Amino acid sequence: MDEKKMNFGRYTLDKSVEIFQAIVITGCIYIFLKAYDSDVKLILTVLLLKSLGDCFLIFSRYFKEKVFFEELLNNLSALDKKYLVLETIRNPQSYEEQLVYDAMYEINKSMCEEVKTYDMKLKEFKEFVEMWVHEVKIPVASMTLMGENLTSDDLEFSQKINKQLRKIDHYLEQILYYTRSEYKEKDYLIKEFNLQKIIKNVVINNKDDLLENKVDIEVYPMVEEVFTDSKWMEFIVNQIINNAIKYKDENKKQQKIKISSLDTPDSVKLLIEDNGIGISKNDLPRVFEKTFTGANGREKAKSTGIGLYIVKELCQSLGHKIEIESELLKYTRVTITFGKSIYSNITKS
Amino acid sequence: MKKIIIVEDDINLRKELKQLLETSGYEVFLIENFKNIQEKIVQENADLVLLDINLPNVNGEIVLKELRKQSAIPVIMVTSRTSEVDEVLSLSYGADDYVTKPYNPTLLLLRIGAVLKRYDSTAVADELYYKDVKVNVAKGTLQRKEQEVSLTKNEMLIFLLLLENQNKIVSRNVIMTNLWDNDEFLNDNALTVNISRLRGKLKELGYEDVIETKKKQGYILI
Repeated sequence: MDEKKMNFGRYTLDKSVEIFQAIVITGCIYIFLKAYDSDVKLILTVLLLKSLGDCFLIFSRYFKEKVFFEELLNNLSALDKKYLVLETIRNPQSYEEQLVYDAMYEINKSMCEEVKTYDMKLKEFKEFVEMWVHEVKIPVASMTLMGENLTSDDLEFSQKINKQLRKIDHYLEQILYYTRSEYKEKDYLIKEFNLQKIIKNVVINNKDDLLENKVDIEVYPMVEEVFTDSKWMEFIVNQIINNAIKYKDENKKQQKIKISSLDTPDSVKLLIEDNGIGISKNDLPRVFEKTFTGANGREKAKSTGIGLYIVKELCQSLGHKIEIESELLKYTRVTITFGKSIYSNITKS
Repeated sequence: MKKIIIVEDDINLRKELKQLLETSGYEVFLIENFKNIQEKIVQENADLVLLDINLPNVNGEIVLKELRKQSAIPVIMVTSRTSEVDEVLSLSYGADDYVTKPYNPTLLLLRIGAVLKRYDSTAVADELYYKDVKVNVAKGTLQRKEQEVSLTKNEMLIFLLLLENQNKIVSRNVIMTNLWDNDEFLNDNALTVNISRLRGKLKELGYEDVIETKKKQGYILI
């Protein structure tokens, strides 16, 4: 980073009136002394002292201001959150510094209040969404049971209803986790969870969709314990499996999703691979962008481009790394990497 | 008949849940007034409680905590709140399972069945029989007199479920959900293949056609 410096030339230009005045007064003193026929040595001594005095005044002011402003500018450029700069500089010494300092303090304070208002509004909105989603889930649950209670009379109808209800539930989860990921508050709980159990919960929730779409799912035994929030993780895996079902390749003999894990010395990797239509090279780097739909999304027409964005945001909050590899018409593989903490090594040994 | 208490404040949900459980052969008691819930539960002397977390004026977790001071009755927490904290709290207060709304009804019934089985002291009988066929679950075999056939894990799961519901129709969906709940993620073809293999093995033991197919309904072990 460039060090910020106060420019002396620019500073003297700013003080040109004072300097001009000093030169004029020096000139006047010279004319005055000359008029009284003073001794040349005396004249020179007086002029020298006067000039030295003027220079000292300008330099001393310059250096004093230089210390204050350079500290301010350098700290400012080094800071990530610029509004904290006032906390990093020395207390104002002169009256002018004090004025600048006070003004900045006032500006900061007022902006903080402004931000706080929005923060409160966002927080209230998030709480409302959470509450709303939970309220809506109750009628959805009632309807699911109503469908089930119909089964003996009309199996096909109840299955149709059930399918639509599953969709509603999926969209409800999406809005819930979208607000959770947008308003980053620590409302997750990281604990040690069995990876297999998380996967199983998701797979069983998608049972009907997988069977209906004739997508086979293979889950390789996983013994690993990972540090995560199981509910958030279930949403993430659910989103990935949903995508795999949505973008299956009808031309392949058997559509498949393969879920496995890989234990390395410093991490555990979860791999979810499908043999679907894949993602083109151009689209691949952008799949995690908000509202990006790509060629697949446009063809399927129903893509919102928000699913993988939420997934990425949630992974970031939880501290997991997520990557996607894919080859068009061949496969898509999502890898989620869980770090191993020192603590987990201790408990194991 | 096992008795289940439902503590749920939504009237519709309560009604549907009651119907679901009654169709599945449970006796249901509804709690409709949410004062002193724990005392009502203790008085009813039931076999299991389905407890909602969001109740008017009271939190299900607190009810559970209070209940545990007086009773060890199995409790399944039911909630629309999907947060880790709620689940961890519920389990630490002594819930036996935790199910989120909207639940898969088949899965809910299986979970209820599993919790009840865990608590059922009369079912500890380690000898399980179908007619004169001895079912050896641990070994994975069926034995009739001298003859023994071994079943795969899937076949055993299917057979046990049919046996548990002997002379009742078990739908493909229930069999499938049970298999998936045991980490066996079969597809439709594989289920059909497993059933016909199981039939073949029962035939070896001299029981031909004991598993009947009820069209559009499921299977029945007679």
